[in-house]
Amino acid sequence: MNDSLQNIPHVHDEAESLQTQHDEMLHRIGLLTRNLHESLRGLGFDKLLEQAAHGIPDARDRLNYVARMTEQAAERVLNATDIATPLQDELNQEAASLEARWKSILTVPSLKKDYDQVADETVAFMTKAVGHTDATKAQLLDIMMAQDFQDLTGQVIKKITELAQEIEQQLVQVLIDFSPTTVTKKEGDTGLMNGPQINPEAAIDVVASQEQVDDLLDSLGF
Amino acid sequence: MANPNTKFLVVDDFSTMRRIVRNLLKELGYNNVDEAEDGVMALAKLRSGNFDFVVSDWNMPNMDGLTMLQQIRADPALSSLPVLMVTAEAKKENIIAAAQAGANGYVVKPFTAATLDEKLSKIFEKLEKAGG
Repeated sequence: MNDSLQNIPHVHDEAESLQTQHDEMLHRIGLLTRNLHESLRGLGFDKLLEQAAHGIPDARDRLNYVARMTEQAAERVLNATDIATPLQDELNQEAASLEARWKSILTVPSLKKDYDQVADETVAFMTKAVGHTDATKAQLLDIMMAQDFQDLTGQVIKKITELAQEIEQQLVQVLIDFSPTTVTKKEGDTGLMNGPQINPEAAIDVVASQEQVDDLLDSLGF
Repeated sequence: MANPNTKFLVVDDFSTMRRIVRNLLKELGYNNVDEAEDGVMALAKLRSGNFDFVVSDWNMPNMDGLTMLQQIRADPALSSLPVLMVTAEAKKENIIAAAQAGANGYVVKPFTAATLDEKLSKIFEKLEKAGG
């Protein structure tokens, strides 16, 4: 009786300790799972931040490249047209002048000496025309070649667009996963200095053409 | 008709764009063209020279085109100077702000030689009418 009386709490203790051990085990498995989950999540974050940290200077370099290439191309085009334009002007003016002189000489059929003089000038002009058209063709070729930037910068821009899209997707996923309430999208408005409109048709408060500018000014009474 | 003596000031922070506008003006018969790369430099030139016309960008360092326009209108010596804005800024509030600040015209980049010609002619026409 005494034994049994003493045994009851003992048995009870044993059961209780088994239950406690079981709870402890579950608790520790829970903690481990949680740690593992958070570590993985942490690794994901690290990767994301690392990608963003690497990606942003890379994007900046690429944009600098685009700016440099387009500026170089524009300079080449302007230099080439600056060289070609006066050459064409000279040909134009001298051709017009010779045309006028031939026309006036031809009205007087007796002036052999004058014919010879204008003929000599015409031959000299032809020589010049050959030289200038060759020089102009070389400049036009350079104008054409300067357009190569479009291919190069186009590729670079495509890469940046992809990178930006990737970062955006990851950030959106982070927001979806961790935002307790609905995330309100902030407008990227910088007041009155927004620069060129990449996609004016898609925006409400933006004009898409010079006609729309004129219409708006007309409606304002300007 | 284009008066070849009309003295222009082209204000833009990109040398390429200044060169393009200068070449277009030359094509239209205006050979008297000077350049400035921001609003501060432009105001200094305008105050020291006899300019007849300003073609200006909007977004520039130091002083933007709108601020420059406002200062031109606030300066009794310059207030009647015609100013044509040539800018990539294409929001309606930009156009309204420029009109309210006293811009004589507004051209959105990228633009064509024909557009520039048309806007200049229109401004000269209006000035002649106003000037009698």
